[in-house]
Amino acid sequence: MKQRAMWAAVLVVGLAMAGCGSATGTGSSSSGSADKLVVWDWKSGEPSAAAYIEKAKADFGKKHPDVTVEFVAQPFDQYYTLLGAAIQSGKGPDVILFNGGGQIRDRVDALAPLDEYVAEDEQRLAGWEAFAKDGKIYAAPVTLQGHPIYYNKALYEQAGLDPASPATTWSEFVADCAAITKATGAKCFALGNKEGAGIQFWLSALASGVLTAQEYDDWIAGKRDWNSPNVKRIFQLWQEAGEAGLNNDGANSTAMFNDSFAIFQSAKAAHIIGLMSDVGHWKDFNEFLTADKLGVMDAPVVTAGTTPSLPYDGGIGYGVAKWTKDPKVAADLVRSLTSTDALTAFYAEAGAIAADTTIDVSQAGPAVATLVAEIETGKPAPHVALSSKTLDLMGRLSQQLLSGSVTVDEVVKQLAASDQAG
Amino acid sequence: MPPAHRGGTRSRRRGRGTERLAPYVLVAPAVLIIVVLRLYPLLLGVNFSLTGDGERNGTVVGLDNYLELFRDPLFRTALGNVGLLVLLLPVAVAIPGLLATFIYLRVPGHRFYRSVYFFPAVLSPVIVGAIFNLLLAFDGPLNAILGSVGLAPVDWLGDPDVAMFMVVGVHVWATFGMALVVFLAGFATLDSALLDAARVDGASLPQVIWHVIVPSLSRTIQFVFVTTMIGMLTSMFGLLFVMTSGGPEGSTYLPEYYIWIQQGQMNRPALASAASTALFVIMLVVGLLQIKLLKRAGKED
Repeated sequence: MKQRAMWAAVLVVGLAMAGCGSATGTGSSSSGSADKLVVWDWKSGEPSAAAYIEKAKADFGKKHPDVTVEFVAQPFDQYYTLLGAAIQSGKGPDVILFNGGGQIRDRVDALAPLDEYVAEDEQRLAGWEAFAKDGKIYAAPVTLQGHPIYYNKALYEQAGLDPASPATTWSEFVADCAAITKATGAKCFALGNKEGAGIQFWLSALASGVLTAQEYDDWIAGKRDWNSPNVKRIFQLWQEAGEAGLNNDGANSTAMFNDSFAIFQSAKAAHIIGLMSDVGHWKDFNEFLTADKLGVMDAPVVTAGTTPSLPYDGGIGYGVAKWTKDPKVAADLVRSLTSTDALTAFYAEAGAIAADTTIDVSQAGPAVATLVAEIETGKPAPHVALSSKTLDLMGRLSQQLLSGSVTVDEVVKQLAASDQAG
Repeated sequence: MPPAHRGGTRSRRRGRGTERLAPYVLVAPAVLIIVVLRLYPLLLGVNFSLTGDGERNGTVVGLDNYLELFRDPLFRTALGNVGLLVLLLPVAVAIPGLLATFIYLRVPGHRFYRSVYFFPAVLSPVIVGAIFNLLLAFDGPLNAILGSVGLAPVDWLGDPDVAMFMVVGVHVWATFGMALVVFLAGFATLDSALLDAARVDGASLPQVIWHVIVPSLSRTIQFVFVTTMIGMLTSMFGLLFVMTSGGPEGSTYLPEYYIWIQQGQMNRPALASAASTALFVIMLVVGLLQIKLLKRAGKED
């Protein structure tokens, strides 16, 4: 009996000692020593980013020769899961790559504000809003992510349309699509909505032609009126496009990456709402359609009096964890990762539209020239302003809209409730 | 020689003491591992599920997460799908059972079938999922075949009424090889005299299967039931992730997938912990039922 009691005592003491910590991380402990910085991202392992990382490392090495930098490339599929675990334990990388918008805003509690360190870069780089919350900047933008409407000029020509002047109103656009489908058999839109991401691109790409300027600005500022007829109109258009057969068949089971892009590249659809960061963008499309045949158009005007603009935000950007030993040094690494030299390499190798507006893009073809020219008048993308939870719900509801199992009124009602809950 | 005698008694006593202690010492590492690496994290998880996410991080919120969980239609769908899996279980067991029967009865080419049936068991779910994504695509070969015989195409992975059955079907396809092997092992213990007697009595094939093979293999069948159910409840994540990502319309969510989404994509680790705890309770109930079943099977023997 005595021994049993003794063992029990040992176990209880052991458990009690181990149980002193709370289940949640305090966020006070640090990842490593002051002379080493650990960076987490999902880019540094890709060959197209190699030159970019090298340039950034060299730049940082000049400023801090005694600090070593270790890049840890995580698989993107699990990136935020792994990061969540690191944040929860209060330990992890010093410098962290984020997508702009909800992904970083949900996690600012774990990040150090960078305003005082990046003040010099604020003019040179674009897209800061996607990495800011409550007036503070939490990451510096590397690329810009936007949702331009790309179109295939060859299909326009085959249908007898002028590829240099695509439709400017929704009714003209639908008429052009009908002409293209009749002449070539190609659908109007290549749509991949398997993950529910298609609706996000749809919302952002078309909003500037549907919402009034005031509604658009209010939306971005968080004052979203889901019952406004124009907001409903965006979802009605989505439903109508599905019913009218403007999309490729089986959109709900077509993955956006890379099946829907493949549909566009193989000229089975005339338009696609793509990206301008480093995948699903002009460089990918140029490879198959050639630079001359790839066009970029503004959103068709749905509500009279609106002025369509390019929807874009900061695409990806590096932030600094609040538990890092020396935030100033970590912020310097972020500055090196967003230096003109490094970003020029990223643009040249990966084709990303970099956040640095001073980079020369004149060699990349007409589509890129159009995109870069529109950055100045562009506005933040409406879907980026929504929380991850609302976006997830919107994805499922959009699939229901396509299958006809929900009404637009029900969709905006559910989205309003989710948006209000935060 | 009293001193020597006393010394001998002492050493015997000490020996008895060590002997009494030995089992505890030997078992201690296993107990420690179970307690420190299994039970303690489990308790931490349950404890964590009673705290909040985001702004309420670290504060105790009682059963809020559980209430939110059961109000969430997505989690209810996930639980409903667990029920669907249980309903589909007999099919998942009957398929390898029937095929093993045919192999045992030496249909022509049975050796070939044996290896072919087992083959998918060595493929990773990710690869299986990718293969079936191609086959089941809207413009894929299966719909092309349907089209060639004049049938309308089906959106196999995009129709919420169809998608879950496709994922379960692919899971069964990919995993029944293991159950088949277990069945074949069971057949190895079958008394062939019984089969011969049945044949002499003029029993048809269905009668042989129903009256001879099924009763003789009752323990094997129960074992396959248990392992197949565990497989369905715990290892469909890879397939789901690759084939449907929980869609369309959230119709193919399972608790595991829900936990992953909440933890990783929604940044709601505490809610994910609550869902994990709920899944744990479900598994516990299912596990206990299984143990009961096995015990009953043991008694019959």
